Amino acid sequence: MALVAAPWLVGEGAQRFLSEAMLMLAMAQMWNLLAGYAGLVSMGQQVFVGLGAYCLFFSSIWLKVAPFWVLPLAPLLCAIVAAIVALFMFRLREAYFAIGTWVFSEVVSLMISKTERLGGERGVGLPTARLVDPRWLEPLTFWISAAIAVAAVFGTWALLRSRVGLGLMTVRDNDVAAASIGVDVWRNRFIAFVIAAAGCGLAGAVSFTATLYVAPGFAFDPNWVVAMMIIVIIGGIGTLEGPIVGTIIYFALREVLTVVFGLSAGWYLIGLGLVAIAAILFEPDGLWPLIRGRLGGDWLSVRREPPTPVMIAVAGTAAEGVRSSSPGLGVTRSDG
Amino acid sequence: MIWVETIVNGILYGGLYGLLGVGLALIVGVMRVVNLSHGEFIVLSAFIGVSLVGVFPSVHPLVLLLPVAVIAFALGFALQAVLINRVVTRPDPFAAILLTFGVAVVMRNLMVEIYGADLRHLQAGRLAQASTGIGSLQVGVLPLLILALSVVLFTALQLLLTRTRFGRIVRATADHRDVVRLMGVNPGRVYNLVMGLSLALASVAGMLLAIRASFSPYSGVERLLVSFEVVVLGGLGTFWGAMLGGITLGVAELVGLRLDPNAGPLYAHLLFLAGVLLRPNGLFRVRT
Amino acid sequence: MTLLDVQALDAFYGDFQALFGVTLRVDAGETVALIGANGAGKTTFLKSLVGLLDHRRGEIRFAGEAIAGEPAERISRLGLSLVPEGRLLFPSLTVEENLLMGALNRRPGAWNLARVYELFPILRERRRQSPNALSGGQQHMVAIGRALMSNPKLLLCDEISLGLAPLVVDQIYESLGRIRAEGASIVLVEQDVKRAAGAADRVYCLLKGRVTLHGQARGLGLEQLSRAYFGT
Repeated sequence: MALVAAPWLVGEGAQRFLSEAMLMLAMAQMWNLLAGYAGLVSMGQQVFVGLGAYCLFFSSIWLKVAPFWVLPLAPLLCAIVAAIVALFMFRLREAYFAIGTWVFSEVVSLMISKTERLGGERGVGLPTARLVDPRWLEPLTFWISAAIAVAAVFGTWALLRSRVGLGLMTVRDNDVAAASIGVDVWRNRFIAFVIAAAGCGLAGAVSFTATLYVAPGFAFDPNWVVAMMIIVIIGGIGTLEGPIVGTIIYFALREVLTVVFGLSAGWYLIGLGLVAIAAILFEPDGLWPLIRGRLGGDWLSVRREPPTPVMIAVAGTAAEGVRSSSPGLGVTRSDG
Repeated sequence: MIWVETIVNGILYGGLYGLLGVGLALIVGVMRVVNLSHGEFIVLSAFIGVSLVGVFPSVHPLVLLLPVAVIAFALGFALQAVLINRVVTRPDPFAAILLTFGVAVVMRNLMVEIYGADLRHLQAGRLAQASTGIGSLQVGVLPLLILALSVVLFTALQLLLTRTRFGRIVRATADHRDVVRLMGVNPGRVYNLVMGLSLALASVAGMLLAIRASFSPYSGVERLLVSFEVVVLGGLGTFWGAMLGGITLGVAELVGLRLDPNAGPLYAHLLFLAGVLLRPNGLFRVRT
Repeated sequence: MTLLDVQALDAFYGDFQALFGVTLRVDAGETVALIGANGAGKTTFLKSLVGLLDHRRGEIRFAGEAIAGEPAERISRLGLSLVPEGRLLFPSLTVEENLLMGALNRRPGAWNLARVYELFPILRERRRQSPNALSGGQQHMVAIGRALMSNPKLLLCDEISLGLAPLVVDQIYESLGRIRAEGASIVLVEQDVKRAAGAADRVYCLLKGRVTLHGQARGLGLEQLSRAYFGT
């Protein structure tokens, strides 16, 4: 509710900051869905950020409508591209998939750079933004960003509690075992990949709407995926709350280093990189499990409990459902 | 005629690409780690080369290959010993990727802070422009030298791994990391040496590439992608395959540039993607 | 003289306890058999001895030195050699190179490449081949040869008869006789009770991580062994 009221409470600068943060959170959730749940480390995820942006810009320009109306096209295009890409990228395992997606991103970036019609290397602005009442541009962006963030978090939560989610988590834990019990590894990963692409495309489209300018160098900048990765690693890979924690830390650190210490953007990336390295060495599960240990209780748990005999008996007579079991999630349970 | 020349030049520079990739192929084969900071170390070597040239202006850059390689070896050793060895034994295959990615981010931005974001070039003087006739073709002297050097280094690496005691130990460690411990071998130390070797090779390639093309702290990404493509096309962890993969990419890129001067590495990338689609196990399955 | 002295060894895989208070002794020149069913803890025991298992409690003394907790690389230099279960030969190396790997830790003694080829002549013929081209029995020979190259005081053999035809096993056990003659002590870990007990001086039996029986090989009856082996 605070989110809805925010545009009236905070200034434009703060709104912009929060929009950026929420879009970043959505993207991080997508990357987390891939890496933390589907076992796919994608280093080319920026291609969908960029494609979403380009899709929005050009459909808005060519159809001559205000950008927000064509927003749904961005995730749609990305989903289709992702579906096609998956067909050949899924042949690569692990690290090779990671870099293969990166190569694909570079290819797309290069091809757009060479295409004058799409703005070439210089990129294009967004003249149709003038079709939107300037007083509402910022708040609309803010609300949409917030909606996307919320959808990303709860959508992922819902997905993971569904059959597809259960399938994904078994694949993550042991894909050979999963396949042997009939889980369609490929299909589950495919779904995750397509959804993540759509999510990043949507977030990318809104993000560039805010800057009113898109060019290949920015749209397909690997720093998008750098940010996603760092957020997820620091916050807690494979958990839903992790990216939230990570996003907070990411932006807090950025503000502290650039505003308080007056360091350039390069130094804050160095700082973040060092924190990420430290995280992998010493706390590979990220900060969230530590925080959760202190606070107790799961907030957005997708964990399932194995049924105890008592519960089975109760479930037989009561309307309360029994939470069904899932193989070990690799998280020690002190509160389960 | 111009096409034959282009292809020949592509082959010559392909040797360089092979050299870029062989360091990566080495560590992939031995410890199953993809070092995402490989590109950054390649660029760092070039920057160190530039700095050394500044300190010793009368020395030709090619002579500086050796000290830079030694420095790179030490850096690789340290990188492995301090950081990578801690994650190499973990069951999670992504820990090493993510770790080296973090290292890459830090290195890239540090280089920007220290050296600035401008493009640099390593001057090789007249040698870079010189060309010689082979039959009826005009071929650059420098590319020929580079190819020769690449072949020498590849052969040396091959001999090191197959004919020496050290090579035996490396291959055994690559096969069974735990069993070699029963023979008194410390796998961590083997990895340190291999990583040092990997980066030393990469540094040579980095310096040579810096003579041919300009570079900036952001060039690491492209170097990494090329190295990686060489490894995958060559068949994941084989060496002569990497050489052939490099040559294929070199030819693809130069031919592509002739057709389409703005393409950059596009055609090399497209070839890679096509290769992945058609033969995901590599185009050249050459057993080491 | 006691060569190997294990006192109250507990061993863990994570939280799972695999060995419970195992006490075992090998004297110089002896051949000791350690028998037990699949999963009884035999391989776990050997791994603990050579330093490949980190989580353990208890004492292990080899040739007077305390080795519990020492890294495998250091233990291997003391004269303790393992022929691992499943051979675990190096496929990227030739047969001869595999044997040479065993010589990295060479202590003074009777065994060298020539003597190993004498013991297993077929290996000399196939020395430039990859171990994958060899039959199961021949691979076992390479594994044993590799362990011998360091001239160990104590040779630990993990299931060297597994999956082999009886004639081949005869060959292998015959070679054990010659290895013993050169002065090495041997621990034989086997599922095949008759073979192991037949070749050994003393026998220990493991069941679910505990020692259920030990004594002179000759004095043990079949029924006793069965009970200790199966726990019935």
